Amino acid sequence: MTKQQSAWEKVANMLRARSLWMLYYCTGCGAIELPPTMTSRFDMERFGISPMATPRQADILLITGYLSTKTLRRVIYTYEQMQAPKYIVGFGSCTLNGGIYYDSYATINKLDLYIPVDLYLAGCMPRPEAIVSGFKKLMEKIDRGEADGWKRYQENYEWYKKNQLSALGEVYIHDEFHE
Amino acid sequence: MSSTNEVIFNEVSSLFEKVSFEKISDRKYAVSIEKRQVVSFLETLKRKGFSHMSLITCIDWIEEKEFEIVYTLFNWNTGTTLMVKTRTSREKPVVPTIMEIWPTAKFYERDIHEFFGVKFEGNPDLKPLILESWEEIPPMRKDFDPEKYSKEHFPDRAYEVDFLVKGSENDE
Ligand code: SF4
Repeated sequence: MTKQQSAWEKVANMLRARSLWMLYYCTGCGAIELPPTMTSRFDMERFGISPMATPRQADILLITGYLSTKTLRRVIYTYEQMQAPKYIVGFGSCTLNGGIYYDSYATINKLDLYIPVDLYLAGCMPRPEAIVSGFKKLMEKIDRGEADGWKRYQENYEWYKKNQLSALGEVYIHDEFHE
Repeated sequence: MSSTNEVIFNEVSSLFEKVSFEKISDRKYAVSIEKRQVVSFLETLKRKGFSHMSLITCIDWIEEKEFEIVYTLFNWNTGTTLMVKTRTSREKPVVPTIMEIWPTAKFYERDIHEFFGVKFEGNPDLKPLILESWEEIPPMRKDFDPEKYSKEHFPDRAYEVDFLVKGSENDE
């Protein structure tokens, strides 16, 4: 299903798909698969994807694993700081359906209720091959203009906020870094 | 001060009534002590060589209606671990703090207070350490049902099942 895109958007999407900076939010065990993906063996950079240290300059937010309610608050802060266009990749079965933490009192079970996920990488944990192939899929989706999570977040902001509040009580963070 | 475990244990046993050191393995021992004696007991052990407090943890014996606090001590001279256990009732769980002996105990006590609801008398700072906006009973208690909580607060993904192997766990 391709959406109607203006000529400008087509060009922009083609360029966007070829230069992605990724902020990896290493919440769970899956983070350990990223060093091999980034370094010479699998070499993510040949696809134009490179790590970025701050949310404001990143395009991809990679969530590697389970999210406790406490981390989810920080992830929402991080996501809302990022500049559009921005894409979220949910990594590992914990972000998909709770994984082995499906019955935990502290972790959420379904990431796309709270923030718009553009691509899920299934597996516990996905190997670098799967990550690379997932990124290829994401690039194709961006190229076709289908990775529109950031637009969905703007359009359905009320719905996302409602879900966030029902799971978290409040999104506001009270700690020494945010007071 | 490098006395052997036997010497230390004999000395300590002579000072306190009804304590018996139980051997688990060559380098691992356990001992139980009454709650009212726990502070002086740990103080004595610290002076005799068990100077390192590695961990404080808690066990919920729900059928016996008691919480058990376990202090794990380590002796650097003999390389021995000693578990000191004490119990408190589940209805009104209060244990004296051991912050005066090991100041780092403060954080373990905060942690146990948060996750089991055991109060440490004398610890000035028992505010939550890890959880944020928690309103239920402390989550590590055995009568807390994490699955029920998860179902109520965090919706599951609904799957469309179109193929099932006979005898699989979802076969209803
Ligand atoms: S999906 Fe598996 S590897 Fe990833 S965070 Fe969950 S348990 Fe860990």
